[in-house]
Amino acid sequence: MIFSKKSHDGEVMVDHRASPGIPAHLAAKFGYHPSQVAEGVVLEAATLGCPHCGSHVVLNPLRTRERAHCYQCNMYICDGCDFIRHEPDYVHRTITQVRELVSSGRYVMVGGTMGRPVLRRTGE
Amino acid sequence: MAKRIFTSQALTFGATAHGSQATSGQYMSLTGASATQITDILEVMFSGKATASTVAAIDLARQGTLGTGGASALAAPNSDGPAHFATAALAAPVVPAVAYVTNQVIPSNAATDAKLNLALNLFGGIVRWNASPTQQWTMVGNTAPGGGSVLWNNSSGGGSSGLGDAHIIYETY
Repeated sequence: MIFSKKSHDGEVMVDHRASPGIPAHLAAKFGYHPSQVAEGVVLEAATLGCPHCGSHVVLNPLRTRERAHCYQCNMYICDGCDFIRHEPDYVHRTITQVRELVSSGRYVMVGGTMGRPVLRRTGE
Repeated sequence: MAKRIFTSQALTFGATAHGSQATSGQYMSLTGASATQITDILEVMFSGKATASTVAAIDLARQGTLGTGGASALAAPNSDGPAHFATAALAAPVVPAVAYVTNQVIPSNAATDAKLNLALNLFGGIVRWNASPTQQWTMVGNTAPGGGSVLWNNSSGGGSSGLGDAHIIYETY
């Protein structure tokens, strides 16, 4: 049973307790706030398993803009898939559906991206 | 269906750009063995072993292009084995590799292929990522980009080369 959207969260731990950490001028380049990866600091953040592309992205706990949400999945999705789903000829297909199609042996994945995979029926 | 652990030890993770070949022997790749194979990546752990401050942009990403010429056989201290001793061998096991014979894997540079950011300071830093149940990093088939994933040091993200130990826990269906 899914209790909340946070039930889907993975977790990443970035431990710099025994390390000089990431310098402030580089931290932002890596997507961190300098205070999150300074010397002696442990960062624990949720990660999002995107239901569209089957990938994971680290959720920035300091993010203030809205997170992309798919009303068909009723789950949060990653920003890449949010961009893709606004393309005009987008067909909604979750990674679970792709798994089932491919593991059935009736389709193979022949390219595209994970947010928009190109599937070909076998034998064609 | 059994969990396996792909481990690399004392590997120098050379920083290379996404969209370019990774350096032979300096990355960890998993590639599906058949068109119908599904593999879930459940955990990645990376421990820095540099002897001076070195910031690495370790990323888990899709493979934009698979390695060619066949995977070089894993050699100790690198390893890949089942988490449970009584695991039956797969007919077509996933291919874990740190090098390919001809061309190395090319991490995807597609803006819409997600990359999991695991950047750390290799001088004493540790990163561990776990997926929640049913929300794993999913690999589909054996062609790019779905059929292959790679853990590498991304110079496009500003990473510098350095030494580290890592493991990837995965499960194939």
